Amino acid sequence: MSLPKLLKPDTYTENGTSAHPDRPALQGGRCTCGTVFFPMQTYGCEVCGAHGDALKEQALSGVGTLVSSATVYIDMGQPRLAVPAVPFIVGEIALEDGPVIRAILSAASEDELAPGQQMATTLVGIGDDERGHYRDLRFTRA
Amino acid sequence: MTRNLNELSPVYVVGVGWHRYQHPSETTYVTLGLEAIRMALGDANVDWQDVDSTFFATGLLGMAAGRSMLRHLGSNGKPIAHIENASASGSTAFRHACMEIAAGISDVSLVVGVDKREPVGRAYEKNGIVGLADEAIAPMTHFALLTNNYAHKHGVAPEDIALVAVKNHRNGAKNRFAQRQKERSLDEIMSGKPVAGTLTALQCCPVGEGAAAVIVASAAGIKRLGLDMNRAVRVTASAASSEGACQGAGADAAITTATMNNALTQAGLSARDIDVLELHDAFTIEELLYVEGLGLCGPGQAIAMLKEGAFDIGGQMAVSPSGGLIAMGHPIGPTGVGQIGEVTMQLRGEAGPRQHKGARKGMAHMVGLGAVCYVHILEKD
Repeated sequence: MSLPKLLKPDTYTENGTSAHPDRPALQGGRCTCGTVFFPMQTYGCEVCGAHGDALKEQALSGVGTLVSSATVYIDMGQPRLAVPAVPFIVGEIALEDGPVIRAILSAASEDELAPGQQMATTLVGIGDDERGHYRDLRFTRA
Repeated sequence: MTRNLNELSPVYVVGVGWHRYQHPSETTYVTLGLEAIRMALGDANVDWQDVDSTFFATGLLGMAAGRSMLRHLGSNGKPIAHIENASASGSTAFRHACMEIAAGISDVSLVVGVDKREPVGRAYEKNGIVGLADEAIAPMTHFALLTNNYAHKHGVAPEDIALVAVKNHRNGAKNRFAQRQKERSLDEIMSGKPVAGTLTALQCCPVGEGAAAVIVASAAGIKRLGLDMNRAVRVTASAASSEGACQGAGADAAITTATMNNALTQAGLSARDIDVLELHDAFTIEELLYVEGLGLCGPGQAIAMLKEGAFDIGGQMAVSPSGGLIAMGHPIGPTGVGQIGEVTMQLRGEAGPRQHKGARKGMAHMVGLGAVCYVHILEKD
């Protein structure tokens, strides 16, 4: 039986980068001006405005440093796969490849988290719907 | 060569009005708006037929709200423009009304903000870019992350940050137009419903509806209509900006610092000259970040000043004398307009139990999703 599909297959991949092959990679991008960004888009570079061929996909390693975290207690009422049941923990992570991103964290509680900690990606199974089981990306203590 | 607002013809706020900000109800937006407008027209001693244009701020009402409300003042055929700029809708409407007066295109303009709590539709969610957790992060979570970051970086406790709410609820209790008019102890605030991180419900602005209106006029309009110049307050600066590239989580604070300083430069003032400050305190952490952005103190130092009473009514500079977004409320469209109204009342000496004595110079600040930032300075001779 194959593993459940990725919830956001354009945003991250099962495979890691060569730097961290065991950590699912994030699908970022790089502009000819040098800016590295996440997620990938071809609308245009937020720094220099170049678009089209100037923007290329760049896999970003799923490793970074925790900047801050917060537990979410209130359900905003979106019954979507992408949002876990409350309470859940959100974190801000400075990726080692550059961009600072926000992600849902896998942790028993915030007590085990502290700014400055090494964090890394993992895929977790999430609730299924008529379309089948899914896996979504989380960051966890490395 | 571009120019600042105060290099054009002088602009004055001559009338202010509100419908109390309140919990969502069956009251129509028409009722909310008309009450605020009639109060402002009465305060200004201006006839609706003398108003040359209207700038209508709303975040949530949907298309074409204006004329269906304004016609009940007696249709006057004058231009109506609707302005949406998320939380900063009212501030944006105010800026553009001021520009129209300053340019000499109109002598008298109405700025009115009206909103009812509808489902919040955010256009940018349709941008086709799928991040890791965008659906899971509401503003409360964004500011909870900033709160924890600030607490960790500066070694302050959640209780210290919550003191902002103690002050703002105390101010709101003196404001008959505020949504929340109840003093709250620190204990009540900390033991309330947890929202995200260390933010509890009373540290966050409420969901609500309401309306606020101000009338702006030129010197020529004031003279022609025989309005009272002694109660007119001059708009001496208008500054606006949007988020730069890669500013990330610190964008609101960064653009606030830049835009507040831009406004001060325009008015030829320093931070210490400001007597009253209304700012975007949707969450307690924001008041600390933006007061530090103003430059009154360095990063992490605002709490010390807060504890000394520096930001109380009667302190060094009254911050959120209306009760702020936390206690006055944040119905969205009205909020920025209501801030101008509060600053005007303060500078006129008409703020009653909320009066900050000797207030001569005031600042109003809002940020909005985008992010965008708007800062105005008002002065009384």
